[in-house]
Amino acid sequence: MLKIENLHASVDGKKILKGINLTVKPGEVHAIMGPNGSGKSTLSNVIAGRDGYEVTAGSVSFHGQDLLAMQPEERAWAGVFLAFQYPVEIPGVNNVYLLKAGLNARRRHQGLEELDAMEFMQLVREKAKMVGLDPAFLSRGVNEGFSGGEKKRNEIFQMAVLEPSLAILDETDSGLDIDALRVVAGGVNKLRAADRSVVMVTHYQRLLDYIEPDLVHVLVDGRILKTGDRNLALELEKRGYDWVREEAHA
Amino acid sequence: MPELAKFRKDAWEAFEQSGLPTTRQEEWKYTSLARIGSTLGETWWTAAAPASLADSDIEALAVPGLDAWRIVFANGRLLQGATKLPDGASLTPLSELLADNEQQAAKALGWEADAPLFNAAIAANSALAEDGLCLCLADGVKLDKPIYMLHIAVGKGASHLRHGLWLGRQAEAHVIEHYAGVNEEPGLTHAVTLVHLGEGAQLNHDRLQDESLKQFHLGRLDVSQSRDSNLTSHAIALGASLSRLDIAVSLAEAGASCRLNGLYMPTGRQHCDHHTQIDHRAPHCTSREHYRGVLDGRAHGVFNGKVIVHKGASGTDSAQSNANLLLSDKAEIDAKPELVIHHDDVKAAHGCTVGQLDDKQLFYLKTRGISDEEARQMLTFAFADTVLTGISLMPLRRFIEKAAFSKLPLGMDAEAMLG
Repeated sequence: MLKIENLHASVDGKKILKGINLTVKPGEVHAIMGPNGSGKSTLSNVIAGRDGYEVTAGSVSFHGQDLLAMQPEERAWAGVFLAFQYPVEIPGVNNVYLLKAGLNARRRHQGLEELDAMEFMQLVREKAKMVGLDPAFLSRGVNEGFSGGEKKRNEIFQMAVLEPSLAILDETDSGLDIDALRVVAGGVNKLRAADRSVVMVTHYQRLLDYIEPDLVHVLVDGRILKTGDRNLALELEKRGYDWVREEAHA
Repeated sequence: MPELAKFRKDAWEAFEQSGLPTTRQEEWKYTSLARIGSTLGETWWTAAAPASLADSDIEALAVPGLDAWRIVFANGRLLQGATKLPDGASLTPLSELLADNEQQAAKALGWEADAPLFNAAIAANSALAEDGLCLCLADGVKLDKPIYMLHIAVGKGASHLRHGLWLGRQAEAHVIEHYAGVNEEPGLTHAVTLVHLGEGAQLNHDRLQDESLKQFHLGRLDVSQSRDSNLTSHAIALGASLSRLDIAVSLAEAGASCRLNGLYMPTGRQHCDHHTQIDHRAPHCTSREHYRGVLDGRAHGVFNGKVIVHKGASGTDSAQSNANLLLSDKAEIDAKPELVIHHDDVKAAHGCTVGQLDDKQLFYLKTRGISDEEARQMLTFAFADTVLTGISLMPLRRFIEKAAFSKLPLGMDAEAMLG
């Protein structure tokens, strides 16, 4: 589904990613862990197509398509979703309107009928319930006046409505208290499916207590230095990241 | 000579002497009125011929679904609306007052002999206004429906209007001034509204200028406020080839407050100028001002917001903000907040921004599957709508939102967006 080969990327001329290789198969959940500044968020942003990230070498293919050649909205239509580390507030753009426009744009590109207002509202209510989002938030401006936790929950809610085939969760656990984390993780777990993959980018292993990954990768200095299973995350929690670096250089 | 006639004659002479303001005057630095004369001719002030309009023409321009007392003016003359208001309230056409009760006309419209002439443009209006509306509310009278004044310009020539809104103590009213027209020929609308708010009186005033792109528009709203009175004003400018609106509010007695909100959206080659002045003359008055502009094409916008805190106005609380969005690199805005403070112990803040759409917001929308063009339109509309959400009458707000929407570069579905 997602195949990243030898990916190099720079921001403002500074090399951040220095040869990432990663393959994610349908239905898999991958965790990418690493210390601050290792390139985790850069990787998320490059996959989603944010401006200001220059890919200097390598490739990213998604369902066999060249993802890097696509606009961010085209990536969304193809089924890529990014849950932001810091979701922006957009006062004046209604939450539900945004989702309806986004979902129907994707359906058009898939050759599907657009959902009408009633079908859509039904879907939205169902998904809001699933992730425990207060329906009052639906009619508000996108993330307008939301607390940090509410913003993260709103990201997962949007993911539930848009039903992507690849979801990138960028530090979704940061800023969440344990109750909110449980609800958000519960939402992600309910969305796990044989044809849907999830890449979780995270600093702490705490999220992995709630969402069990198939594979854990350690990203240090722009490279994946180690890959393992769930136990690798526990080891990182105990020992930090330095030993991975040392092991790689040994 | 009766006093009113003399005043109007003096006003005309004052105007004849100075002519229209020119860009050599600081207040008119960015707005040249020379085009009015060059387009409409040397006697540009010549009144437009009376026009009769079919009901269907009126309905096509009016705000639908508005439960209000409607008064219609065509080419500066009253066309419809001999409305009977509740006891203690009177709504009299200026033309009637001029014929029957000059004294009252003079009082309601600030035509007393010692009244300042403001500037030459106002002097012309003082001399030439033929019609308008005088609303007088006795103490304690509260209108339970808004008064909706629809002004329609048809054909060439000038419409000179003068309105007076006189609210007694604790009186309350909501007045809408709507300037519309589908003129194929250039014309001029020149409308001055004078307002006096008695102690504790409350006025909600919405002004929508959506005239044809051939029209010139000069407007003024002049408000004097007594103790504890409150003004909420929305000034929306969408139409006209060249428009200038002056709003002057005098917070003359303690505890008075005003809120001035505005939105201007010039596109193409439109020129749109707003000058506001708030005078804090008494202690413990509050003013809030929030103006936004969206400029596209080769449009030119001007915003000048002056706040003057006079000596003795302790406890003044004033905040002003002006934000502008430039959608085209050929569009231009001259924005100038001016804060003049002659007294200590005041709270006054102002901010002014000129910018483009926020990249982070654009990217966020696109990752949700919104195309670049649609995302730009959504954000532009959201930027403008921040001002419109303050309009309390929903049918009016929706009407303005749709009109504003139709000015954006793409034909996105307003109904869907507005929900």
